[in-house]
Amino acid sequence: MTAAEIGVKTRIVPLLLYDGGCATCSRIARWVQRSASHGAAEPSILARPVGNDPSELRRLNPDLDIWDAYAVSHVIMPDGSMKLGGEAVAEVLRRLPTTQWMAALFDTRIVGVRPFQMVLNLAYHILDDIRPLLGCDSCGRPKPWVRPLQRLLAWAKATGEPRATPNKTLHFRPLPAAQPRVVGRSPQTERT
Amino acid sequence: MVSDVAAMEKRMRDGSTVAANRIQTLDSTSFGPMVLQAEGRIAVEFMSYGCGYCRAIEPLLQQVAENIAADETIFRVNIAADSDLASAYGISGTPTFIMFLSGRELGRAEGPSPDFASVRDAVTGPFLS
Repeated sequence: MTAAEIGVKTRIVPLLLYDGGCATCSRIARWVQRSASHGAAEPSILARPVGNDPSELRRLNPDLDIWDAYAVSHVIMPDGSMKLGGEAVAEVLRRLPTTQWMAALFDTRIVGVRPFQMVLNLAYHILDDIRPLLGCDSCGRPKPWVRPLQRLLAWAKATGEPRATPNKTLHFRPLPAAQPRVVGRSPQTERT
Repeated sequence: MVSDVAAMEKRMRDGSTVAANRIQTLDSTSFGPMVLQAEGRIAVEFMSYGCGYCRAIEPLLQQVAENIAADETIFRVNIAADSDLASAYGISGTPTFIMFLSGRELGRAEGPSPDFASVRDAVTGPFLS
């Protein structure tokens, strides 16, 4: 779908923008696209990577800054407004046929606050922070609280690596057989 | 991050527009004529929009671009879009600044502190020495 077509479609259905360099975000976006098109002629929500062209994003919405779009998930609504972070996730779940039932949950107010939306916002921020552990080339250095987890994960991966084990006759694996040394060059290989 | 979302939502409510951009983005086609074959002092920032550190120094870099001497220019190369330029210049992390004087590389600065003086010194320092 071209940028112009996306521009036309977003006047009808919301558009989710995601970081295309992040494997985790791309996996989630693929799932959203599959779910949005499931059993329907037209998808209930569109998804596209943020891309690298700031002016193209501003054509979608004049207030949309490419730096912001990479920093936080954005959903551009058909009326031109934008939802960010956990609110964007709630909007996506609200639009998907399989998760529509959650809409009422996120809108539920108890003593003026939306507790389920607050939990979703928190979950969004945690997922956003741990993206480098799940696969994200574009995320850069993880947040300080994630770094110990990253080291732990690296350590756990290293323990699963195959190690040199002693066999019955030798304590250590034998060294590879030494290659015969070439003392002189044959006349065929010698360059003139 | 929570404050990021709150700040963005506040900006949207206030109706404030996207900040002006004083730094031109180059690609592999325009890099040669604009940097290598150009005269004068040129600083090139190798960055990506997904890099949090690049985002942190972006407003400062815009300020520096506004305040540097008239004969110095700052350009930007997005390594996500032009990875060939990044590998040609051995960029291992973002942001990396490479300063050119009449097409010749004069110096580099990697990840300056996110304050005005550090960014300004990174961008202008090699030309002063």
